[in-house]
Amino acid sequence: MSDTKVTKVVLQSNDGTTIEVDRVVAERSMLIKNLIEDLGDESVTTSAIPIPNVNDPVLRKVVEWCEKHRGDSLQSAEDESETRKKVTEIDEWDQKFMQVDQEMLFEIILAANYLDIKALLDVGCKTVANMIKGKSPEEIRKTFNITNDFTPEEEEQIRRENEWAEDR
Amino acid sequence: MGMGRGAPPNNSILKTLQATEMIDTKPFLPAEILATILDYLPVADQMRFARTSRRMREMVYDDTRWVARLRSMGCWDEVEARRRFEEAMKRRRDMANAAAAATAGRGGGKPAVVTTTLFDAAAEEERRRVKEVRDGFETLTVGGTPTSPKQVRGAEGMDPSKDPEALLGVINTAQSVRGHARQEFGRIYGALAPFYFDLANAKTHTDPIVFKVFRDPERQAQMLANLVAFAKSDWAQGWHQREEKLANMVSIFESAVLREFEQGYEFWDVDGRMKKYATVLSTLNGGGAGVELFVQKHPIFTDKEVLANSMDCINQASADTVTLEPSRRFFETLTLKVNEQADILARIFPDPVPVFWSFLDKVREDIVMEYATPLFDETHERSIPAYLKAVSGLFEQTVQFFRSLRPPKGAVAQQEVKAKEFALKVFEPHLDLYLQDELDDFTRRAEREVGDWGKKLSAQDASAESFYMANFANRQADKTDFLTSFKKVVMMPVSVLPTSLSLPIGSPFASSKPASSANGSLQASSPQPSRPHSPSLTSTNPTERSASPMPGKAPTDELAAKAALMTSRLEGIRSLFSIEVALSLVHSAKASLGRMAVFISLGGQAGGEAREQCETIFVTLLRILGGRHIKPGFDKAVAHLSQYNPREVSQHDKGVAPLVTFIELVNVGDLISQMIDVFYEQQLAGPKIVDRNDFLDPAGLAKKKFEQMLDESVAAGLNKGIDVLMDEVEYLCATTQPPTDYNPSSTTPDTLAVEKSTGGPPTPSLPPPNFDIGPTPTAQRIRDLVASHTSMLVGSTDKSMLDVFNGEVGLRLFTAVCKHLKRQRVSTEGAIKLIADMNLYFEYIRTLKNQDLLAYFKALRELSQIYLIDAKHHAKEMATIIADSDRFGGIFRAEEVYEYAERRADWYQVKREVERAMYGLECIIM
Repeated sequence: MSDTKVTKVVLQSNDGTTIEVDRVVAERSMLIKNLIEDLGDESVTTSAIPIPNVNDPVLRKVVEWCEKHRGDSLQSAEDESETRKKVTEIDEWDQKFMQVDQEMLFEIILAANYLDIKALLDVGCKTVANMIKGKSPEEIRKTFNITNDFTPEEEEQIRRENEWAEDR
Repeated sequence: MGMGRGAPPNNSILKTLQATEMIDTKPFLPAEILATILDYLPVADQMRFARTSRRMREMVYDDTRWVARLRSMGCWDEVEARRRFEEAMKRRRDMANAAAAATAGRGGGKPAVVTTTLFDAAAEEERRRVKEVRDGFETLTVGGTPTSPKQVRGAEGMDPSKDPEALLGVINTAQSVRGHARQEFGRIYGALAPFYFDLANAKTHTDPIVFKVFRDPERQAQMLANLVAFAKSDWAQGWHQREEKLANMVSIFESAVLREFEQGYEFWDVDGRMKKYATVLSTLNGGGAGVELFVQKHPIFTDKEVLANSMDCINQASADTVTLEPSRRFFETLTLKVNEQADILARIFPDPVPVFWSFLDKVREDIVMEYATPLFDETHERSIPAYLKAVSGLFEQTVQFFRSLRPPKGAVAQQEVKAKEFALKVFEPHLDLYLQDELDDFTRRAEREVGDWGKKLSAQDASAESFYMANFANRQADKTDFLTSFKKVVMMPVSVLPTSLSLPIGSPFASSKPASSANGSLQASSPQPSRPHSPSLTSTNPTERSASPMPGKAPTDELAAKAALMTSRLEGIRSLFSIEVALSLVHSAKASLGRMAVFISLGGQAGGEAREQCETIFVTLLRILGGRHIKPGFDKAVAHLSQYNPREVSQHDKGVAPLVTFIELVNVGDLISQMIDVFYEQQLAGPKIVDRNDFLDPAGLAKKKFEQMLDESVAAGLNKGIDVLMDEVEYLCATTQPPTDYNPSSTTPDTLAVEKSTGGPPTPSLPPPNFDIGPTPTAQRIRDLVASHTSMLVGSTDKSMLDVFNGEVGLRLFTAVCKHLKRQRVSTEGAIKLIADMNLYFEYIRTLKNQDLLAYFKALRELSQIYLIDAKHHAKEMATIIADSDRFGGIFRAEEVYEYAERRADWYQVKREVERAMYGLECIIM
């Protein structure tokens, strides 16, 4: 209904560059969708929508994803929050899309989180999960920039506590 | 960075947003995102994650995370968890109290440590440890006790054969303890994950160590069932493939077991292989496949003894009827067989209840429906009454069948519900047609009945009507008696089952019923009003009546006898409507209703439809009975009334014929109305087919309408009846009152001739025209005439209408008497007779208990005294009386009294005297 009136919106990244996208594409982001609803069509046509938390390369990446997934049905957030088996495999295009360096990956996740694009956030998290599968604690710390505040004894204690879960 | 750049000045909100100072974001993921990522990680990775830092450990160890997993396996019991939690809290409070008491005793000090944590972890830990030791499962101890950690390592390192039994029960023995979900999950994971991942990686179905560690099928099944449950807690990537693999393995295993079961089945090895493998299947996944196999291949479905031919029900009965004896035998055999199987089921299956229902469902579909459907189709083609009987009867038998089964233990509670459900399934395809046919059949039968009656009637010579006065005094007693029998009959259940013990009360009336019992022989007489030959009652009947067709046998049925008796008493109205027709219709309705009412027990939509149809039957009954039978009868009676001309009728000794007829009609109408009422109460309202308080209920409305129609007809008829009655009264006055009655001295041959020609023969002969004190025969006859008609109505119509009727009759009688009086000449001698007459009327009116009316006749009585006065000598007194309006209670004005005074035989001789006395001078008023 709304895209009959305004079909294009302009997004502005935090480094000032602007990207014109179809409104439906932009509305994959719940944040933008709500913003447009709140401000009304008029203000959207007359000025760019600032995305202050996201820089230009990341925003372009996110827009690329949204373009690809413009036709997907929007899943509601609480749809499957508690139920299991929410883990569907990442599709091929998304896998390729996520083949970026770790910093970019994190940026995309953060942007998806900020813009409230649940599907993209999920894909990102799954990718990260795959990334750290089989990694040692030390490797994980490095990946996530986590400071170790355990003594070696404490760490060993946790390992023993959860020996049952160890790979065989 | 990026503030205000390129922003149009007019958009303040966006501008503000753009102006916001941004914090530099490093790629560091916030906690909630980390938590999401954790969800996607396999358990092993999560545990490594826990080792990276305290914060991460907390996140991983979060109890809800593990409760969710336990719940997904179906082994988290929130109620149990809460109970444990509350118990722990109580313990905690007690300890706190004790500690507080202790510290208070010591006078201060540190508060008890126990209050600082919500959960008494140490106590719980200790308890669990004890339990696990008891389980012989100390290898899985959680909580950091380093007891033989090597034993839980991998499938190779572990030796499950050492204690595989503990593995089998690992899921069933899971506990729901808050704060310990992770440990509990760990216990299960440690036991099952090796098998699970091994199975997921297995290349062939012989590979998985599950099948190596456990050799017997029972344990294998248990383990597989455990793994299926466990798989539900696996939601890391790849779960789908793993689960599929597991499902494959399970189905391979299942079909192998099923083969064994089938072989056992073929040998009918009930307690051996069948039982064994049914248990295995049940352990594995509830045993659905085994049950299905068992039910599908069951020999009962090819058992020649059971599979009877439902056509027997038609073939063994006479033409166009149906007997339910073969079907009863069929159900009897089936009950035996099914009960036998129920016992066997209980021996084979660990949980026989669902198996039994599933088996029974198949029996219903393949045996019962196969039996019933052709029977219904066939009977429907041959004869509708047979069809109706077959459907209703078979339904009862079916319900009975499902109820009389002996299901395995535990199924008894559901039996009633299931019986209804199955019965509904059997009859659902037929129900609509059946209900419609039932209504159609009833309508047809009722209309035919009424039509036949009408035809028969018109064949008779309507003009040859003869009237027979019943014994009025006994009317009410008769009616009560009749209604009592009717009530008794209506209350008896209609049953179409040949085995039923109840008397087929409807049989003399419901011609569709086959001669299935002793009383059935009466049915042939149903369309004919059956009259018993009772000379005491029929003696006054014309001979033509006694020659009317007699039923072959005297009615043995009480009601039929009473109805016949009633009819014989109501000869007079047989041309108008017949109580027997009404009774017959009611019985047809009752039979239909009885047949349909059994379906109401089904409840739900089907039951509702059946109920509605029952109401429709009732409505139809009233429509046909009221509209087609009673209303025309009343109309005809009213027409007769209005055509009545007393001068054309030669006999006047038996009352006004059409009015008597009409009043009889009112009586019968009232009787029918009461019958309908009883029927409504007992057949519809009693069994809760209709709601008596629902004023929109169609049956209730129809009943009201019927009663209203009756009342209106009665009112219309009575209106006419009064006219007729008064015509008769006037006719009697004019024709039977000789002038000599009131004026004995002026007898002329002329008037005597009149008297002779018109005098009623059976009344006491006229007294000699001399000074005989007492009312004149004319007055007596008028009194008798009116009294007999009014008394006939007592109890047959409602009181208020009766009062109005009586009031009107009285008033009109008064007018008639006055009119009559004005035509007479009254001598002083005759005045005695007149006063006697007036007294007679007065006494009669008094019985009506109507004070207003009584005043008129009192006045009349007073008035009659003016003729007694010897006017020659007492002209003055007479004048006083004439002028004294109080004397007449305001009924007569002085002018009127004067008019009556003019009727004195000696008026012209005394006129002057009186007038002078009245006005004091010779002036003429009139």
